Amino acid sequence: MDIKQLWKNCLIEIESGVSKANFSTWFKNTSILKEEDGIVYIAVPNEFVRDWLKNKYHKLITKTIADGFQTMRAVEYTITKIDNNNSSKNEAPKQIETYANKELPLKDLYINPEDNINPRYRFDSFIVGTFNELAYAASQAIIENPGTKYNPFFVYGQTGLGKTHLIQAVGNAIKDRYPGKKVCYITLEKFATDFVNSLQGNKANSFKEKYRKYDLLIIDDIQFIGKMEKIQEELFHTFNTFYENNKQIIFSSDKHPNHIPELVDRLKSRFAAGMIVDVSEPEYESRLAILKLKLQEMDINLEPETLDYIASAIQGNIRELEGSLNTIICQYRLKNRPLTLIEIKTLLKNSIKPKKNVAIKDVVKIVSDHYNLDETSIYEKTRRKEIVRARQVVMYILREDFNVSYPLIGQKLGGKDHTTVIHSYLKIKEELKDDNQLMQEIEQIRVMFK
Amino acid sequence: MKLECGIDKIKNAINQTEKVTGKNLTLPILSSILLIASGKSLKLRATNLSLGIEMEIPAKVEEEGIVAISGSVLANIFSNVFQNENVLIEGEDGNIVIKTKKSRIKLKGQQSDDFPTIPHVTGETFEIEAKKFIDGIKSVYYSSSVSDIKPEISSVYIYSNEDNLVFVSTDSFRLAEKKVKVKNLDEISGILIPFKNIPEILRTFGDFNGSIKVCFNKNQISFSSDNIYLTSRVIDGVFPDYRQIIPKESKTEAIMLKQDLLNGLKLSNIFSDKFNQVNLSVKPKEKIFELSSQNNDIGENKTSVDSALTGENIELGFNYKYFLDCFQSLTTDSLSIKFNQPSQPIVVSGVSDKSFTYLIMPMNR
Repeated sequence: MDIKQLWKNCLIEIESGVSKANFSTWFKNTSILKEEDGIVYIAVPNEFVRDWLKNKYHKLITKTIADGFQTMRAVEYTITKIDNNNSSKNEAPKQIETYANKELPLKDLYINPEDNINPRYRFDSFIVGTFNELAYAASQAIIENPGTKYNPFFVYGQTGLGKTHLIQAVGNAIKDRYPGKKVCYITLEKFATDFVNSLQGNKANSFKEKYRKYDLLIIDDIQFIGKMEKIQEELFHTFNTFYENNKQIIFSSDKHPNHIPELVDRLKSRFAAGMIVDVSEPEYESRLAILKLKLQEMDINLEPETLDYIASAIQGNIRELEGSLNTIICQYRLKNRPLTLIEIKTLLKNSIKPKKNVAIKDVVKIVSDHYNLDETSIYEKTRRKEIVRARQVVMYILREDFNVSYPLIGQKLGGKDHTTVIHSYLKIKEELKDDNQLMQEIEQIRVMFK
Repeated sequence: MKLECGIDKIKNAINQTEKVTGKNLTLPILSSILLIASGKSLKLRATNLSLGIEMEIPAKVEEEGIVAISGSVLANIFSNVFQNENVLIEGEDGNIVIKTKKSRIKLKGQQSDDFPTIPHVTGETFEIEAKKFIDGIKSVYYSSSVSDIKPEISSVYIYSNEDNLVFVSTDSFRLAEKKVKVKNLDEISGILIPFKNIPEILRTFGDFNGSIKVCFNKNQISFSSDNIYLTSRVIDGVFPDYRQIIPKESKTEAIMLKQDLLNGLKLSNIFSDKFNQVNLSVKPKEKIFELSSQNNDIGENKTSVDSALTGENIELGFNYKYFLDCFQSLTTDSLSIKFNQPSQPIVVSGVSDKSFTYLIMPMNR
């Protein structure tokens, strides 16, 4: 007979014979260790339990074991560590190791106030796929030869695709590799606030010195620099100092430098002097890999079908991907059972966006069909009431569902000004609030896209 | 059960044992003290299944018996009974009646059959003066880790080295080591006493004169004197090999009066940030030993401390709390601080006192 099963049966029997409090105190962490020559060894967590079982429950235990295991001759109690202590025992050598490395243990516990780098962002947790392999390769080259290979390094891409992770990981890698180097990660917003503060306190020089003492400067979300003329100038000078001294600079932005509005030419050309790479949206395989890594970090297992569904349903943004995964894990823990695919679909319903790439022409066609109009009439410069309405609906849908820019919509719909488009969009949005008829029409049109 | 005993003695015994009673709700009996009247004494026993204590006080026993009474109720009663005389305790069907000159108190007892036994430890033994043992533990225990994640370091480590008994604890940010000379010591490879049980050990034997017998095996340790028996679980694990991280040599050394440094640290503390960081700059050539701290909301401060310096310049930051902790364990008036690199531990010890060593990891700057 299986000894594990034997003890399980015994526990059930013992449980009915003693009070609940006694059972949970004395029997909860026990097990049968082994059986040798008819002697059954019972593992107990400590000496208190051993003494008590021996003195108080020995007869009961012997009797119940004997019922299921006739050849038993005696019962012995052995003190062993319970399982969760075993895992910590394995960690002990690690502890020594950190000491041996003479690392400062505090380092990992908080974002270093001096360089603002979050120690969590590392290349270990960075998934490389075709969508970001160029950016990854370039960053590896920079770690090899900081300041000389690609300077400046400019990463751009949509929000939530891992730009911040990538550039902070570079910072961490450089810190590890070249312990003497001073690294600084800063968002443009913080850089700007610092600058303004220094102007207020008449400390412009200390501002310059503060940033120029670093060996690696990482500025995040540089796209907001557009309207800040003075900051552009200051950044330009800081940049030059870094560049001349062969110190590495890294920028991230959600746009290509050429598309950052009101960026002065001298900065544009300087950004272009180094390496500009984009991070695009991860493809299915990378999304799956990211999900798997996240699960591994959280030490949770989900069924392959679930992962497959999330990875194929949530496209684009990695942040949303993580968000959806967290929602599912939260529900999973709450219900304490695997979720069915239908439940997952309901959970993710709101996160899934309709297909993004759609030709404006198709939208126009569907809308005009719906209103029984000639497709070309939408593009005409006419103010006939029924056509104006259809045109506004086209603009609304393009903007709301497909996120097309106002100027582009205007341009495609017969050279309208972007303000016209904004007006139409807001008008429909406003009307939708109390016009049920319009709401239904738009819902019907939306169905046609799916 | 029927007995008579001195009120002072039973008061003291109840206070001591009550601290060990268990607060866990799964087994309510653990919150009580077991009173055992037999022979010429009254035994009081309490346990929380990690620690167990048994105290024996002399009593005039007329009728033997056992009863379990809630520890906190007993402690409350005896903290409000002041007459200096004898107290009479009588058992009545599982309940007891306590009679003093002025009060008659009836208390509900609990089923004493369920009260656990306390393990009687067999294994290696040694004897040590209680004062020395308490001094050793007291000098280091504040450094142990308070979290349960690594039981090895949330404990005080005791081992023997030649004729010293060595006490060590660390939370991986700082480490304290105290050596206490003991005659005729057998080799002790290592005992880990859980940090959580230390305060009770200190309380029980803190004011005790004379020697105690320590007995231990790989699961349990016991301390016994004539009338007290205290036993604690020990942790079955391996303490990190800490000796290799104590720097053998140093590049910079500073010697100063303990009080001077304490004043400087207290001043710096006002301005330290939420990580308790205080920065230190040592320049031996210019005879500068300067503490500085700054807080954006309050201001900043620089304080120099008179000291004798040798070696190279060094600058580093540390958590002042870690520094303050060790002052209670430094018995000398002046102390020595040794530095290597900003990423290596600082070594603090008393001048001419080799028994206590304290390591602090600097903070990253």
